[in-house]
Formats: sequence, C-alpha cells, structure tokens
Amino acid sequence: MSLLDNTQLSLESAMSGSMYRQTLLSNDLANADTPGFQPQDVNFQQELSNAVASGQSPTSVQFSESTTSQVTSSDGNGVDTNVVDADIAENGLLYQTLTQVAAARNSILQSAINASG
Amino acid sequence: MSFFDALNVSASGLTATRTEMDVTSENLANAQSTNNGTPYKPQAVVLSTIGSGDSFQQELSSALSGTPASANGAGSDAGGVQVSQIVSENVPNQLVYNPTSPNANAKGYVEEPDIQPVTEMTNLISESDSYQADVTAMDTTKQMYTSTLQLLQA
Repeated sequence: MSLLDNTQLSLESAMSGSMYRQTLLSNDLANADTPGFQPQDVNFQQELSNAVASGQSPTSVQFSESTTSQVTSSDGNGVDTNVVDADIAENGLLYQTLTQVAAARNSILQSAINASG
Repeated sequence: MSFFDALNVSASGLTATRTEMDVTSENLANAQSTNNGTPYKPQAVVLSTIGSGDSFQQELSSALSGTPASANGAGSDAGGVQVSQIVSENVPNQLVYNPTSPNANAKGYVEEPDIQPVTEMTNLISESDSYQADVTAMDTTKQMYTSTLQLLQA
C-alpha cells in the first residue's frame, strides 16, 4: 500500500493544473492590449474529474488549454480584463485551499508516524 | 512548462506596459516640438504575443530532460507579451497660427504635431490600469508559491 493515495495524487495534479491556469490567465492579462489576441483558459477541474472517473492515474493527466473566440475591442482583441481579474483571484484562492488540504493530510500522516506507545 | 512561468509572463506585461507609458509620455512632452521644420511625429507601440516555445531556456531544458518542449499544453502560446516595434504614426501636422514664430510660413502658420492631450491622457490611464492588473496577478501568483512552500513546514 502506497503512502500516497489517490486523493493525494489528485491534489498534486489539481495544484499543477491550477498553476498552469494561472500562467494562462496571466498571459491573457499581459496581452490585454495585443491586437487580435484571443484569451486562453484551462478547465483543469473538469479534465481531472474526467480522468479519475475513467480510471486514469491523476498524475498522468495532460491539461490542454481552450481558446475562446470573442471580440471585445476594435483591434480584434478578445480579453475581458474584469473576467480575467476575477478568475485570477478565484484561482489563487483555490490553489491555496488545495495546498492547505494537502498539508493537513500530510500532517495526519506525520502524526501517525510520530505517535508513540 | 516551468513552475515560475506565471511570474515571467506577468513581468513581461509590466515591461510592455512600461514601454507604452514611456511612449505616451514622450508624445505628450513633444506635443509642440517643431524641430525647425520637421515636426515631431507621434509614436505608437506595436505589441505581439510571445510563444511559449520560443525561449532558449525552454529548448535547452527540454533537450536535457528528453521531454517535449511543452509537456503540459502542447501548442500553448502562453509566453507573455513583447513590444515588437515602436512606429511613428504618419498623421498630418496641424497648422497653428503664430506669425512671430521662426518656423512660421508665409501666411503666419506653424506646422505642429497633431497630438491630442486628451487622447494621450486616456491612453495613460488605461496603461496604468493595465500595469496595476499585472501587479495584482503577480501578487496572487506569489501567494500561490508561498502557500506551496508551506507544504514543507511540519
């Protein structure tokens, strides 16, 4: 029996997906003025839950980004900065929640290891 | 894709926005520069996206580790933004009546750059907002990294 159960692996994969989402969202924000730029996002929660439901190992998931096709300004740029700002804040909080949960599970394991007689 | 990509991407946004602000300030400062007959032409910044497979560091690390350059999100273009060029806009000069000026033509008009301060100030406001948004994104990313480190604490 491995010390790292499926939940711990899923947490690790979700953190990786969340970090990838942060990169994409930061890129959307940085390119908010670039003509013709279309924002990208990744729904890592959906991809992860699909993978786990189909029996795959959570750490083997390859996250793939999706590109929206909308136009919010006359130069063809499609970034809505308010939406991206809100997504960045939400993603940051989600990531911190994931690390807290992972840390709590680790400390349970540690207290089990340290428990004496 | 490196762990610190999100920070680098936001930093590239800060650099590009800073360049835009510099150009806007220059346009404002030179709103009346006649340069003895060849008036200042307003400048504009052309932005372009940086692809994620473009950096030498990524190619090197992918070659050393034997994995493809973008293992997560193959084909993603999340490399940030860059200023591809600063162009001079070819807008016609405006004629300002000033017969006492050394650059006045026969009818007393001086050719001055056609720079609208209101337009430039609006650009400045939008660039400032953009800069702040990138800083907030960097802040959030930094908090994410810090909370990762807390995993290592007992």
